[in-house]
Amino acid sequence: MSEIFEQLATLIIEGDDEKTPELVQKALDDGLDAKDILDNGLITGMNEVGVRFKGGSMYMPEVLMSAKAMHDGQELLRPLLATAKVKRSGKILLGTVKGDLHDIGKNLVGMMMEGQGLEVVNLGFNVEPEKFVAAIKEHKPDIVGMSSMLTTTMRFMGHTIKAIEEAGLRDNVKVIVGGAPLDAAFGQRIGADGYGYNAGDGAELAKQLLA
Amino acid sequence: MRTNYRTNSGVRFEMLSKDQLEALFNGVLHTLEYTGLDVHHEEARDILKGIGAWVDGIRVRIPAYLVKRSLDTAPRSFTLFARDGNSKHDIHIGPGRGHFGPGPTPPNFIDVDTLERRPYVKNDARIVATVCDALPNIDFCESLGTVSDVTTELAASYEFAEMFPKTSKPIVAWSFGADDGEDIHKMAVAEAGGQEAFEKRPTYVHYCEPISPLLSDDQAIDKLIFAARHRVPLIFTPCPIAGGTAPVTAAGIIVQAAAESWMGLTLAQAIQPGLPFFMGGVLSVMDMKESVFSYGAPELSLMEAGIAELAHYAGLPLWHTGGCTDSKVLDEQAAIEGSLSCFFSALAGGDLCHDVGYTESGMTGSILQTAMMDEAIGYSRRITRGIEVNEDTLATDVIHNVGPNGHYLYEKHTRKYFKTEFWYPNLCDRHSYEEWEAEGKKPMRDRVVERVQDILGTHEPSSIKPETQDVIKQVLAAAEQRVKDKK
Repeated sequence: MSEIFEQLATLIIEGDDEKTPELVQKALDDGLDAKDILDNGLITGMNEVGVRFKGGSMYMPEVLMSAKAMHDGQELLRPLLATAKVKRSGKILLGTVKGDLHDIGKNLVGMMMEGQGLEVVNLGFNVEPEKFVAAIKEHKPDIVGMSSMLTTTMRFMGHTIKAIEEAGLRDNVKVIVGGAPLDAAFGQRIGADGYGYNAGDGAELAKQLLA
Repeated sequence: MRTNYRTNSGVRFEMLSKDQLEALFNGVLHTLEYTGLDVHHEEARDILKGIGAWVDGIRVRIPAYLVKRSLDTAPRSFTLFARDGNSKHDIHIGPGRGHFGPGPTPPNFIDVDTLERRPYVKNDARIVATVCDALPNIDFCESLGTVSDVTTELAASYEFAEMFPKTSKPIVAWSFGADDGEDIHKMAVAEAGGQEAFEKRPTYVHYCEPISPLLSDDQAIDKLIFAARHRVPLIFTPCPIAGGTAPVTAAGIIVQAAAESWMGLTLAQAIQPGLPFFMGGVLSVMDMKESVFSYGAPELSLMEAGIAELAHYAGLPLWHTGGCTDSKVLDEQAAIEGSLSCFFSALAGGDLCHDVGYTESGMTGSILQTAMMDEAIGYSRRITRGIEVNEDTLATDVIHNVGPNGHYLYEKHTRKYFKTEFWYPNLCDRHSYEEWEAEGKKPMRDRVVERVQDILGTHEPSSIKPETQDVIKQVLAAAEQRVKDKK
């Protein structure tokens, strides 16, 4: 039994998005518990990926393949985990703020978060403050993540936080921000709960805030 | 298949036209034939006279046809071998291939623990060899100092004895004369398994120097003759100073340096036709305010590029110079001067680029400078490796598949190439501010020192044979006796 978990962890580290779902299915067919497969197989693998990425022996394209393998494997587990009423690990609402058409960096953050076993709702780019507010009401996330790539659109992060406050939702969610022109001090100034300096750090930050 | 498809796969620097190169070449031949050089060595004069040179007292003039014949027999391409058979440490000399390493004999060394300047000691040779063995962009080893804490006459013998067990990369060795040159040769031959085996796979190069202008002393020629007779690849490199011991003009110093070096070439090829030979030399300016030979001057890189082109035009590899500085410490000046000359050397394709790690205008060796330059060389090599253009690298299919607003991080194409297309630094910092802060806000020089100390703490070079250890002990004991007997 522990052998199949080890194999799953290895497939995650290798970023094998074909064999990971196959082996997850086999584990389920063998009667293994969905939560055990997630915790002892997939997440164990992804934790090692995180260690290797930080240590410099794994690179971004490899980490993203691992995250994709993780995500694809987890898709098979999601319905089972929902019915078993296992406490979900966290839901993140992501979007690039109003006026900004940059999509990819924020998507990378989303992939890294999914790789950490988190559920991500991606609102896309050019997201108006009102749209963030409506999405919080609809999806009830734990964390709202905002991205901006331009000095000219950074200010809409502050506007969005204000809109969330005015809707009376600020206490329901943590807010995190990221993007090339930002830094930690800017995040503090606009009243965010955290700042991630790259995709991996953003995912790490989300996990810490959920702990 | 493409036909008649011309490719330029790497970035190269070419400055001189064919006409200019021919003018320089003829200038060298003219100097050798009409001016000649003083050769303070009777046997050498006899050998040169024997092949047709004109000897008048100590002055030797060499007619052009003899020089051309020597250029003909000297190889453009050959291999220097790792002593342990590790082919990754072999050096293949040939067109478009530049290699890097330290230089010989400064009196001082920057202590790797205290970072203070002090006299060079025996253990430093061990340190230099170990670090050179580990640094990925350093291809050959040279000592960066003159050992001060042994019998003076045996500094070179002890230096080689210390370095040889600590690196399997080819070593460039110097000596005072033929006696200690023979000490070194015995150690290398023992490891190779005999003279014949050494000749097939030479593991070290002998370095000697004529004196500028146009002079060769007895000892330099003694060493040259010993190396040639034992088929040890040879470097014969002058160190002329523009405006002092050579013409002030770049073209003039190149002509004179080549003439000095080619006298050695002609002699060496007369003794041992086909002997691998590196022409020199180290060309720079005399700073007319400080009266030093500048190791950080832009003219050094420029003149070296010029003489590299002449060497390659004549069909010889060049003993090139770079990675050196006039700065006294590991600072911004050291980084600027060292990096630019490394880059220029890489662009010029200087065959063995030495003095990587020279500081204080050649007065102090610094393995820290060498380690910093290892990064600059890696950087330079990525640029000179150039851009490969083919169906796969053009990636039009990949561009089509990803389309607008997609990304390339999931593409097999990205995974196939991201490790080879990109150069990844060892020392240059690309962390976010937060990560850099978390690791202690270390500036470059701290990271360099750490890397050197880390190598010294962890790197284990492949060892030499136990019987070679015994030979080294015997050779050094006999050498001590030889010096005693002479006194």
